[in-house]
Amino acid sequence: MSAEYLFYWSMAATGLGLILIGLWGVLTRKHILRIALAFTLADTGVNLILVWSGFLPGRSAPIVDSSVTQMVDPLPQALVLTSIVIGVAVAALFVVVGVLASRKSGSADIRHMKELKW
Amino acid sequence: MSLFAAASIGTGVMMIVAAVAALIVKKLISAIIIVGFVSLSASLLFLLMDAPDVAITEASIGAAISTVIFLWGRGKIGGEQ
Amino acid sequence: MIRTIVGLAIVLILMAILITVVDDYTVPSALSGVGESYTETGVEDTGSVNLVTAVVVAYRGLDTLGEVVVLFSASTAVVLILTLIPIGSGPTPPSSIVSFTAGILPSAIILFGIYIITHGHLSPGGGFPGGAVVASAFLLVMLGSNTVPGKSKFLSSIESLAGLTFGLLGFWGMFAAGQFLNNLVLPAGSPGRIISAGIIPLISLAIGAKVASELSGIFSSYRKAGGEK
Repeated sequence: MSAEYLFYWSMAATGLGLILIGLWGVLTRKHILRIALAFTLADTGVNLILVWSGFLPGRSAPIVDSSVTQMVDPLPQALVLTSIVIGVAVAALFVVVGVLASRKSGSADIRHMKELKW
Repeated sequence: MSLFAAASIGTGVMMIVAAVAALIVKKLISAIIIVGFVSLSASLLFLLMDAPDVAITEASIGAAISTVIFLWGRGKIGGEQ
Repeated sequence: MIRTIVGLAIVLILMAILITVVDDYTVPSALSGVGESYTETGVEDTGSVNLVTAVVVAYRGLDTLGEVVVLFSASTAVVLILTLIPIGSGPTPPSSIVSFTAGILPSAIILFGIYIITHGHLSPGGGFPGGAVVASAFLLVMLGSNTVPGKSKFLSSIESLAGLTFGLLGFWGMFAAGQFLNNLVLPAGSPGRIISAGIIPLISLAIGAKVASELSGIFSSYRKAGGEK
C-alpha cells in the first residue's frame, strides 16, 4: 500500500467501515427499525466498494466527449445502479413487515417477537 | 494534499462517525435523518470516484425515497421502546 | 452488554479477515477485460454517448429486465400488505408551508424528471433516477393535500403498460434481428443527438414510467393505510 494514493485506500476503507458498522448494528440493536437502518448502511457500503473496484485514479467519467481520453470502468457502475434500486425495494419490504410484526406482538422490541407463527 | 484527496478523506471520516452515531443516538428520528445524511455523503463520494450516474441515482433514490419509507415506518410504531 | 461485546468481537474478526484480503492489492493502471472493450467500442456498437446507460440498457439489458421484475414484485407485495391489513388512522392535515409549496413546485420537479429520463443516453441519468424524481413530485402533491387519494386505476395501468412495453421492445428485437433486446432495430444515428442510439430512449422512457408509477403507488398506499409522519 503506497502512501501517495492515500485517498484511494481511504475510499475503500470508508466502504469497508460502513459494511462492518452495518453488520454490528444488525447484531446488537433491538428496535426493529434500527435493524433496518443498519441494513441500509451495510447496503450503501457494498455499493461503495463495488464502484471503487472500477475506479482508476486520474481518469474521467465514462461519458464520451471530444475532450475525454481515458475513462474509468463503466461495468461496476451499471451493477451498482441496479443494486441501489433493489436496496430501496428491500428496505421498503423490511419496514412494512417490521411494522406488521410490531403491531402483532405489541412492541417494536425484537426480544418480544418470539412467536414463530402469527 | 490536493483538494480532491482532502475531500475524499474528510467525507470518509465523516461518514464513519455518522454511521456509528446513527446506531447509538436515543431518538429514532435522529437516526433516520443521519442515515439520510450518510446516503447523501455516499453520493458525494460516488461523484469523487468519477461515477455521476451512480451519484444521481443514489441521491434521488437512497437519500430521498428511502428516508420517506423509514419516516413512514417510524410514524406507525413510534420511537424507542 | 454481553451482546455488544460479542457483536464487536465478531466484527473485529471479520475486519481482520477482510484486511488480509485487501493487503496485496495494487492500484491498477489500465482497464482490462470487459471494461476495456466497452470503453473502446461502446459508442460505435450502441450509438449512446453515456457508456453506463449503454451497459445497463443495451449490453446488459436482460439484467435490467430482471431488476424491473424485482422492483415490481416488491412494490406489489408492499401495496398488497398495506391494503389487506390497515394500519392506523387518517392523515394529518398539512401545514401552510407544505400546502403552498405543493401548489407550485411539483410541475418543475416533473419537468426535471422527464429531462433526466429522456436524456439518459446523452448525460448522466437514465430511467431509474428520473422515475424516482417524478415519484418525489407525486409525493409532494400527496403530502400537500388534505384528503386521502381515492381508488385509482391510473397508476397501476401505467405501470403495467410500461412493463409490457419493455417486453414488447425486446420481442421486436427478437423478431427483427434474431436477438432479444437487440439495440439496433432502430438506427444508431449520430451520437450526441436525442433521436439516436437505437431503442435506448424508448426503453429509458418505459423504465422511467414504470419506476415513477410504482413508487407513487407505494406512497399512495402508505397514505391510504393511515396517518404518516
